[in-house]
Amino acid sequence: MSAVDAHGAPRRRIRFGPIVAGALSASLVALFVLPLVALFGDAGFSGLVAAAGNRTFQTTVVYTLFASAIAVGLGVLTGVPLGYVLARYRFRGRAVLESVVLVPVVIPHLVVGLSLLLLLEPNAPLGRFVARAGIPVFDATAGVVLVMLYVGASYVVLSSETAFRAVDPQLVEAARSLGATPTEAFLSVTLPSAGRAIVTGALLMWARGVSEVGGFLVLAYAVYPSFPWPGPITNTSSVFIFNYYGIDPSAAIGFAAILVLVSLVIFLGVRLLDRTGLAWSRGGWFP
Amino acid sequence: MSGLALDGVVVRRGGFALGPVGLSVAPGTATALLGPSGAGKTTLLRAVAGFLPLDAGSIRLDDRRVDGLPPERRRFGFVPPNLGLFPHRRVRQNVAYPLAIAGRPDAAERTRHWIERFGLARLADRYPAELSTGERQRVAMARALAAEPAALLWDEPLAALDVEGRDTLLQLLQELLDTVRLPLVLVTHDPSTAAALAAEYVVLNAGRVRFAGDPRALAAAPLDRFLARFLGYDNLYSPADLATVGARPIGRTLLAAAGPGGVAVPPSALTWRPGPTGGCAVAAVRATPAGWVVALQDGPLVFRVRVDGPVPGVRVGDPVALELDAAALRPLDGPVEAT
Repeated sequence: MSAVDAHGAPRRRIRFGPIVAGALSASLVALFVLPLVALFGDAGFSGLVAAAGNRTFQTTVVYTLFASAIAVGLGVLTGVPLGYVLARYRFRGRAVLESVVLVPVVIPHLVVGLSLLLLLEPNAPLGRFVARAGIPVFDATAGVVLVMLYVGASYVVLSSETAFRAVDPQLVEAARSLGATPTEAFLSVTLPSAGRAIVTGALLMWARGVSEVGGFLVLAYAVYPSFPWPGPITNTSSVFIFNYYGIDPSAAIGFAAILVLVSLVIFLGVRLLDRTGLAWSRGGWFP
Repeated sequence: MSGLALDGVVVRRGGFALGPVGLSVAPGTATALLGPSGAGKTTLLRAVAGFLPLDAGSIRLDDRRVDGLPPERRRFGFVPPNLGLFPHRRVRQNVAYPLAIAGRPDAAERTRHWIERFGLARLADRYPAELSTGERQRVAMARALAAEPAALLWDEPLAALDVEGRDTLLQLLQELLDTVRLPLVLVTHDPSTAAALAAEYVVLNAGRVRFAGDPRALAAAPLDRFLARFLGYDNLYSPADLATVGARPIGRTLLAAAGPGGVAVPPSALTWRPGPTGGCAVAAVRATPAGWVVALQDGPLVFRVRVDGPVPGVRVGDPVALELDAAALRPLDGPVEAT
């Protein structure tokens, strides 16, 4: 039988692979999008405007962005070196260390808060030390940042580890031979090559920190002014929405929708920055 | 003396031991490191460049001992097998890299010089991924020379190039060797690259030096399977191949000439013509890029011979007369055990 139709034109063969892949992908995208549609539909335009105009909520958003920026900064500062060590060095206990890095991803959120509470309460050894040093942790920014760091830094470690593994060691050797010290080679070759993945890891960490509730409920339900947050007294946005859900559910839905919008804008912004080329990952940064 | 000198270099890595290797390369000349895969060529080059510690021996560059120095202070222009071009930097930024690292005030000028010297001006704003293999190789060479090295170490500098591209780059390399007057050590699998550039060969096998010196002496040197293949000898017979050939005259000739690793039949040792003598016949006729190859079967042994001309002149099954010149046969050394 020839593959032509009644008019003699070649019959187009139906390719099922892309159709199946498309249908499966679309069902997942629908799962991501439909709850948001329901959220925004329920909030309505007037609800969104009212939520966005709420001063107390605005403060929580500013505070959440503030605390999450500190947490992500610390997460990158500590997570990238750990990712590098895991990617480049072979040592005893490496498998254990890799498992330890994964623990925060699987541990229930409330347990995170409880564990940190037990560790840092004033009668615990470390808690005594922290209290004596004059660093407020409970209901303070340090607590919020700690929780965000705990629940999110694993993403920075894992994504930078994968990225560092993918950097060809021959590139580093070429750089060394061309006169670069190990630090210069790391800054000019290894880090920019892994830059994109580190940005993705940082973004995931940020998202994880912003969406956290359980840990904050235990450790930092309210946030009182303390270094480096000058005030006023506030909550993280997630706790604020959680609170409001018990008082005024429709208002909580408006706040939640605004938080989603803010997050989407930040995601899109970072992606756009990435596409136009982060200066340093394009080789214009160092040397 | 100026140039590069290795003396008694030994490198041990896990179960593999390389050396002792000694060689000296004068400015403006090249030494080729040859050998089968796993022989230790790349290990030696990386040890010289400073990426593997020496277990014994010394490396001197222009009378300065460099084996205790980190790679960035040895002043070798080292080009790894995949060229090591930075994918996130444009061609210009790649070439400028060593000058920028050194903080040279004339970096822009020197970069322009090397970019023009290698004909890369119109490619200067491209990324390595946007270049052909030959262009990428030129960028790697320009960058290595921009670092103003005291010697060049190139691992497979012309790999993955077509014949035309390789000839162009070979010519460029030869001109460069004449003008920059640097010692060059290159690792290559390709006999024609080695022949075109290198005044001296160092052949490694399983970490040991099997031959070192003027390539013209190679033909008379004791051979192993790698060297025999490198010389273009197609017909090599191991002791196992020769185990059952004693009943035939040709087999007896081979057995008489064989060494511990068997025997090689250089093309000059083999003559044949169509004709019904001795029970030898054409087993296969194959076209290759280098011409026709005819397989002649004598008992269990197969001899491959190259035939010039547009058609081979014989067909499968044709009887042939085959003769070996016993004096031209070459015994092979036994396999080298890795230590």
